[in-house]
Amino acid sequence: MGRVIVITSGKGGVGKTTTTANIGMALAQRNRKVVVVDADFGLRNLDLLLGLENRVVYTAVDVLSGQCRLEQALVKDKRRGNLVLLPAAQNRTKDSVNPAQMRQLIAALAKVFDYVLVDSPAGIEMGFQNAIAAATEAIVVTTPEISAVRDADRVIGLLEANNIKKSGLIINRIRPKMVAVNDMMSVDDVTEILAIPLLGVVPDDEKVIVSTNKGEPLVLSGTPTQAGTAFENIARRLDGEKVEFLDLMVKDDLLSKIKNFFTKSI
Amino acid sequence: MPSDDPILKPAAKSEALSAEMLKPEPDQSLSDNPPIEALDPDPMASEAVSGTETIQVDKKIDKTNNDSEVSGTNQPKETPPIDPNLQVRIKTEKGNLCIYLPSEIKKEGSIISYAWSEIIQQIQQRLSGDSRSWDPNTPVRILANDRLLDTTQIQELADILVQANLRLKRFYTKRRQTAVAVVTCGFSVEQQTAQQALMTETTTNPLVADPMYVQMTLRSGTEIRHDGSVIVMGDMNPGSVVIADGDILVWGKLRGIVHAGAGGNAGSIVMAIQMQPSQIRIADFVARGPSNVPAQFFPEVAYVTPQGKISITQAQNFTRS
Repeated sequence: MGRVIVITSGKGGVGKTTTTANIGMALAQRNRKVVVVDADFGLRNLDLLLGLENRVVYTAVDVLSGQCRLEQALVKDKRRGNLVLLPAAQNRTKDSVNPAQMRQLIAALAKVFDYVLVDSPAGIEMGFQNAIAAATEAIVVTTPEISAVRDADRVIGLLEANNIKKSGLIINRIRPKMVAVNDMMSVDDVTEILAIPLLGVVPDDEKVIVSTNKGEPLVLSGTPTQAGTAFENIARRLDGEKVEFLDLMVKDDLLSKIKNFFTKSI
Repeated sequence: MPSDDPILKPAAKSEALSAEMLKPEPDQSLSDNPPIEALDPDPMASEAVSGTETIQVDKKIDKTNNDSEVSGTNQPKETPPIDPNLQVRIKTEKGNLCIYLPSEIKKEGSIISYAWSEIIQQIQQRLSGDSRSWDPNTPVRILANDRLLDTTQIQELADILVQANLRLKRFYTKRRQTAVAVVTCGFSVEQQTAQQALMTETTTNPLVADPMYVQMTLRSGTEIRHDGSVIVMGDMNPGSVVIADGDILVWGKLRGIVHAGAGGNAGSIVMAIQMQPSQIRIADFVARGPSNVPAQFFPEVAYVTPQGKISITQAQNFTRS
């Protein structure tokens, strides 16, 4: 029986889908059998981030309505065969699926795959209820902003109410430079409020935008990026390894010192 | 492993699933070659090859395990039309505008048909995009079939029709409860017996339906299904879908997914002013769009070659027997 992990946040735009794509790919690179499930019916994006948009023939709704078999709807990744995507229907809304159907789908997937990563939509309505229905673990993604943290806190409460006790926190898009001058909440500030185990910290990185537009998850890129390495480390931690947290602060302080030195001299 | 799981029949072993995975496109894991080489950036080069270019990867959609479509895919007559009950349909019949609401499909105890909000959305989209097909103040019949409607929903429908300058004439329903609700709202209703409903269903399903005109930009998430040909006057954005039993003509940019000849007719074609699809399906064939964008566009036609591949050629070179 594979692990069913929902990636959720409450607030939109904090990087749930980016996180799902990268962790999924990183786990696949560790030779795990991974299925990423897009639970964002009506606003699906996961296929875009993985660059698999034009391979989608059937969707989860087609499976549920009996128009195809589950295996037919699964899109195998073009780079790693052990990563597959179960796409959401773009032409439907979140109300077209109910938690019982989601449970049925995911139970079938969990029999075959080591990891079932469910990408939850923003919000706490039907789409969220569907996404968490079958999950036994959760990854809560937040950014170091008061609004995102507030929503994440609410979501953690809802997860606990739904008996999902094992959840990990990812703090995304942190800018060490801003934290250093106290313009941004620090990792400690966030963990102090949310009080769940920290799974990883991902720095804000322009390369994420490039990788999204290209449909190539960061963890695939040949030249290592800070954000890519952070996602790889998260995947390793998820897989049970003990990995040190990236020391973003010192590294970036040094970089910025050098940068500042040069900008000042010019 | 228990075999009573309804949606994962063949996965008795985990190997079975990975092997069976993705029947529609078998060579996913291969190179990143764009399967459609049709849209060569250099038009001269493509003309040198007789102006016709072939898409590399075409594959029949695996429908063999789909119980309703076991019969040979080469006989279009035998394949059923696209499920007409799946979406809201709007038709003009004898001066009336008929709005067919999709029926409630039940499966294994749960309902998977459209939610009411989706139905309202579809009606609104269709009424705004298809308005050239009827005159203002056209009387409207709403065929609710077996769908249960309450008074607020009926009022919602009536309001939409008023906004669209249409006159609600009569409801048709199979359910007594709906009929009562309609009367409560002050509209006229006709309750059909199951047999009557069956009769109307067959008479409204001619072999070849009238073409459907859609005058709007089809945005992501919009899906148009029609049991005839579809003419889109506007662009199809990525994420939009048109599924037609006949041909599909896009007078604009085709960037979404098109499925022509969905009933199984491989002779169907797709035409577009600017052909840039993310996926083309004709009958049981599927082809992926190119990943690179050509420098220049020409009106183009996609069709199935006798060799069983989806090809794209410039419209001016397109001649068929």
